[in-house]
Amino acid sequence: MTGYLVFVTTSTAILALFSLGLNLQWGFTGLVNFGHVGFMILGAYATVLLSLQGVPLVLATGAGVLLGVLLALVMGLTTLRLREDYLAIVTLGIAETLRLVVLNEQWLTQGSFGVQGFALPFAGEDYKLLLMWLCLGVLGVVFWGLERLVRSPWGRVLKAIREDEEVVKALGKNVFWYKLQALMLGGGIAALSGAFFAWQETSIYPEDFQPQQTFDAWTVVILGGGGKNLGTVLGAVIFWAYTSLTRFVLPNLVPLDDARLGALRIMIIGLLIMVLIRWRPQGILGKKGELTLGK
Amino acid sequence: MVSEPLLNAVKVTKSFGALRAVDQVNLQVYPGSITSVIGPNGAGKTTLFNLLCNFISPDQGEVFLAGEPIHRLPPHRIARRGMVRTFQVARVLSRLTVLDNMRLGAQGQTGENFWCTWYQGRAISRQERQLRDQAMAILESVGLAAMADTYAGALSGGQRKLLEIARALMSEPKLLLLDEPAAGVNPRLIEQICEYITALNRQGLTFLIIEHNMDLIMSLSDQVWVLAEGRNLVEGTPAQVQTNHQVLEAYLGC
Ligand SMILES: Nc1ncnc2c1ncn2[C@@H]1O[C@H](COP(=O)(O)OP(=O)(O)OP(=O)(O)O)[C@@H](O)[C@H]1O
Ligand SMILES: [Mg+2]
Repeated sequence: MTGYLVFVTTSTAILALFSLGLNLQWGFTGLVNFGHVGFMILGAYATVLLSLQGVPLVLATGAGVLLGVLLALVMGLTTLRLREDYLAIVTLGIAETLRLVVLNEQWLTQGSFGVQGFALPFAGEDYKLLLMWLCLGVLGVVFWGLERLVRSPWGRVLKAIREDEEVVKALGKNVFWYKLQALMLGGGIAALSGAFFAWQETSIYPEDFQPQQTFDAWTVVILGGGGKNLGTVLGAVIFWAYTSLTRFVLPNLVPLDDARLGALRIMIIGLLIMVLIRWRPQGILGKKGELTLGK
Repeated sequence: MVSEPLLNAVKVTKSFGALRAVDQVNLQVYPGSITSVIGPNGAGKTTLFNLLCNFISPDQGEVFLAGEPIHRLPPHRIARRGMVRTFQVARVLSRLTVLDNMRLGAQGQTGENFWCTWYQGRAISRQERQLRDQAMAILESVGLAAMADTYAGALSGGQRKLLEIARALMSEPKLLLLDEPAAGVNPRLIEQICEYITALNRQGLTFLIIEHNMDLIMSLSDQVWVLAEGRNLVEGTPAQVQTNHQVLEAYLGC
């Protein structure tokens, strides 16, 4: 049981970290990113492959984060000047492309055999417990940093862009550059979560990085109410509480095999989101007042 | 006038498909003046504003601000040079408070730089307090001080117009472009806006105003430019324009 609690807590922290990146991009800046998992792939693979080459873990992780930031830069430079739906399409495409590259470039990634036996941040019996504390610590630091940022004038510009970028332009701010910064920072955070994901799993495979990961993050952000960091963390907690509960409870209630049960769980989540958007569109922590505001 | 124009647009042209929305339009705004642009609906006034600020890039023509070409600069750089516009349909940042809308207008904020937010905390909070005071003073003068902490999205149409002007003032512009500041504003408030514009103008701020409200135009303007169907029709003092038969024709169809 403790083992499972540790697993769930670690998973929640990683999901929260991953989703905080999306919340910065979408919740605060209004950027529609449907390829968030792409940053995670880069972060995870870069970290483990570099550490397999003997690069110290901290440097390998740093390189992973940097690659995430660079990926965001490329996405942003190519699409942010275009209409906003282009970003959604391109991010989705790039994330899938990355997964396919990882699947097919076997000389580098061993394809579907996955990567195992890479260096981990800790050793010994208490590995999982220590990793959990590390995840929570990093989540805390990132959360604190993001809160500081979104409360600063820098964050005010992001929120203003979300509301109406023409106004922000008219007031002399370089909208393109701020969007790029939000995309890069969110990408870097997601890449970092990828490293933790790899360390938790201790082996990674291309199929770990399906688009579903991106949509889980969207679920989390919407659950908590976009533009609220605390809401995003809460969303991750609810997500994993739901996942673990249904994992134990559903098999006893419905006579279905595992694959179908998995599909059913996702269906229920979809249904819950529809209900939420209908009845509480501002999310769990969002303020109702914000929604009734005219544009 | 002897001085150089602060804003000088030369043969600015923009077509939307087959429609020449702005056709070879010239416009000069002299420093310290209140200059107006009038013309029937669809004459191309708002489009001209968009072209001046490069929100839409002109097909042809040049725009100079204080003698320097600006028609290739991105909009935010034009704003930083002191030419700030408002929108015909007021655009407020709904889920930001009125005060935050105001603070966003201020230029050169240390805290808007990502790196500075980490190690310039003190300087930033000092600046924020200063901006708050500055914003409150302006809000006071447009009668919105009591709304400072409400979401801007909760404001009425007229209040939004006021907030937009107030927010533009936070950037301490040299030249303020107002697109129909009096539209949808009640008569008493229009009077207040007029007084306010005159007061700011005395302090040295130059205005370029699009308006349909003739009383406002005639009482405020030093110079009036009339557009019709995307072209310059006439220009002159309010008195000259008022009696011009071409203008009467364009406006009243007689
Ligand atoms: N983005 C656009 N695409 C196509 N046509 C446009 C666009 N913007 C403006 N127009 C057209 O250009 C012409 C001029 O429009 P504009 O908004 O400049 O008029 P206006 O003088 O500001 O009118 P009003 O007094 O009603 O505000 C109109 O015929 C309009 O339909
Ligand atoms: Mg107009």
